[in-house]
Amino acid sequence: MKTPVASWVTTLRAQGAGAFAAAGLPRADQDGWRHTPLPPDLMTRFGAGVAPLDVTYAGPEGLVHKLMDCYTGAVPALEWLEGLQSRPARGPLWALANAHLRDGVAVDIPEGAALDVPLVLTLTGHDGQFLMTRTAIHLGPGARATIIEHHRGAGSYWNNRLSQIVVGQGAHLTHIRFQGNSTDAVYTQTTAVEVSGGGTYEAFNFVTGAALSRLELHVDLLAPGAAARAHGLSLLRGSQLADHTTTIAHRARGCESAQHLGFILDRAARGVYQGRVRVEPGADGTDAQQRSRAVLLSDQARMATQPELEIFADDVQCAHGATCGALEGSALFYLRARGVPEAQARALLLQGFAAEVLAEVADADTRAAMEERVTTWLSAA
Amino acid sequence: MLHIDNLHAAVDGKAILNGLTLHVPKGQVHAVMGPNGSGKSTLAYVLAGRPGYEVTDGTAALDGQNILAMEPEERAAAGLFLAFQYPVEVPGVGFMTFLKTAINAQRAARGEEPMPALDLLKSIRKASRALGIGDDMLGRAVNAGFSGGEKKRAEVLQMALLGPRCAILDETDSGLDVDALKTVADGVNALRSPDRAFLIITHYQRLLDHIVPDRVHVLSQGRIARSGGPDLAQEVEAQGYGAA
Ligand SMILES: Nc1ncnc2c1ncn2[C@@H]1O[C@H](COP(=O)(O)OP(=O)(O)O)[C@@H](O)[C@H]1O
Ligand SMILES: [Mg+2]
Repeated sequence: MKTPVASWVTTLRAQGAGAFAAAGLPRADQDGWRHTPLPPDLMTRFGAGVAPLDVTYAGPEGLVHKLMDCYTGAVPALEWLEGLQSRPARGPLWALANAHLRDGVAVDIPEGAALDVPLVLTLTGHDGQFLMTRTAIHLGPGARATIIEHHRGAGSYWNNRLSQIVVGQGAHLTHIRFQGNSTDAVYTQTTAVEVSGGGTYEAFNFVTGAALSRLELHVDLLAPGAAARAHGLSLLRGSQLADHTTTIAHRARGCESAQHLGFILDRAARGVYQGRVRVEPGADGTDAQQRSRAVLLSDQARMATQPELEIFADDVQCAHGATCGALEGSALFYLRARGVPEAQARALLLQGFAAEVLAEVADADTRAAMEERVTTWLSAA
Repeated sequence: MLHIDNLHAAVDGKAILNGLTLHVPKGQVHAVMGPNGSGKSTLAYVLAGRPGYEVTDGTAALDGQNILAMEPEERAAAGLFLAFQYPVEVPGVGFMTFLKTAINAQRAARGEEPMPALDLLKSIRKASRALGIGDDMLGRAVNAGFSGGEKKRAEVLQMALLGPRCAILDETDSGLDVDALKTVADGVNALRSPDRAFLIITHYQRLLDHIVPDRVHVLSQGRIARSGGPDLAQEVEAQGYGAA
């Protein structure tokens, strides 16, 4: 019954299994994981067997394929897929994803295609599941597309996800994620993006879900004029933790990157932003901006911010700004002095804080959907 | 209408107001003048209920109601308005949204229905035009990127829309050029009414050329050192506060 998969897939699985067996899960004493302790029993709790992926798709036809169909040859081969998926693993979670290479989707946007309708993927996790989901996205030269991912679920599960993305020359990908997983779930997401000359990768991660989430983003700006904008807003309460760890490598002259991360942290929630910008030799004229801002609504809430700049080029503009603190007391008093009750004034200030981050979202409908979720989140306090 | 008696207040444990007594009957405009650091803004904040401003003795009542026991928003709903010396930026909150929220919050506190959106928009537009406030300003976040003059006009706009019983204006004249001063003064004068009281805090006499007060008080070391008619303002201006 089982159709054999391509041999490179089998090879990748074996390599991944070997690498993960040697390294094990990232531990809190390892670089980059100090603020984000993965539950040590993740593998024993969930690792027994990988659950089938529950994914639905809405959008233009013919562009999204099940990975398994690509591996078995059920759909015509995508000539970029093997090369992209065979990139060296960056870290044990990537290796683990390779070990279980099976489920997921390939998105193939051909050269010059300009999609005015978004591609919408909805992934649902269920109690007790171990999910190893995978996305491979390829935009040919000059293509334009918007991909919206909804992550949700119920109960306790672990989704270890790997997304690999190629943005071709002059292409533009808008990549929106609504991370609304179950607040009992663990969500580890590694995204690796390669941007060609004049191309743009524009991401916004809207995070309200998971007990622990790690969004690890690697962007390589490969040729002049490549740009990456990776923004996000995380609204967390209880003992939720959201980690945004990014590495943006400027590998050619005249590339731009911008990051604007906002966190609203209530009760014992924790936010982590580790942003590394690497400007490689010859990447002159780089412009790299990083901004992280957190509002702490309780004494127990914590924010860890760690920007890191490695600059090996000239004529480079790099800026990092970080703020972290309670709601501005003078603004709160100003609103109350106008007759706005304290609770409502606080909510309005938080909405204002969120709106400043959401201003990075170019599409008005997406922004409105996020604003609505902010309101819902605030009213659930 | 506004009765302040023997008011003592401290900030960070430091006594700033030391037995201040001041009565403003309804329909009247009183001015409080005083050198920098004499406690003018402290008086305004204490009346408005700013956290951190501790009343250690004395009373303050609006229409016979003890306002010192109220939350800031309750004082506003009771009809007290403070035009801030330094209006506060509220990032990400649109000025229009802010105005609507404030107006409807005060209506709710009085047990009234929210104002219909269209009426709200019309009254905001009308009051804005009178103060030379354009749509671009209404479209921005509260006080964010407003010039000094724009901030002061925005304060007067809020006062006009909220229609308080008693308004305290804390150095609303500072940072205004002659034309803006005239606009702001006209805005205040238009609101003068037999049912309303004003307390105009100023460092200079020039605003009082446009808003002629019924009484002038000179604040010194946290209490009223002298009181008089409108002429007192000219005298203070001519001789300086040292003579007061
Ligand atoms: N938040 C504060 N913390 C400490 N001292 C303050 C604070 N606000 C005002 N003061 C002090 O209180 C005194 C009166 O200040 P203020 O009321 O602002 O005077 P005015 O408005 O008349 O210039 C000054 O000595 C000032 O330094
Ligand atoms: Mg002052």
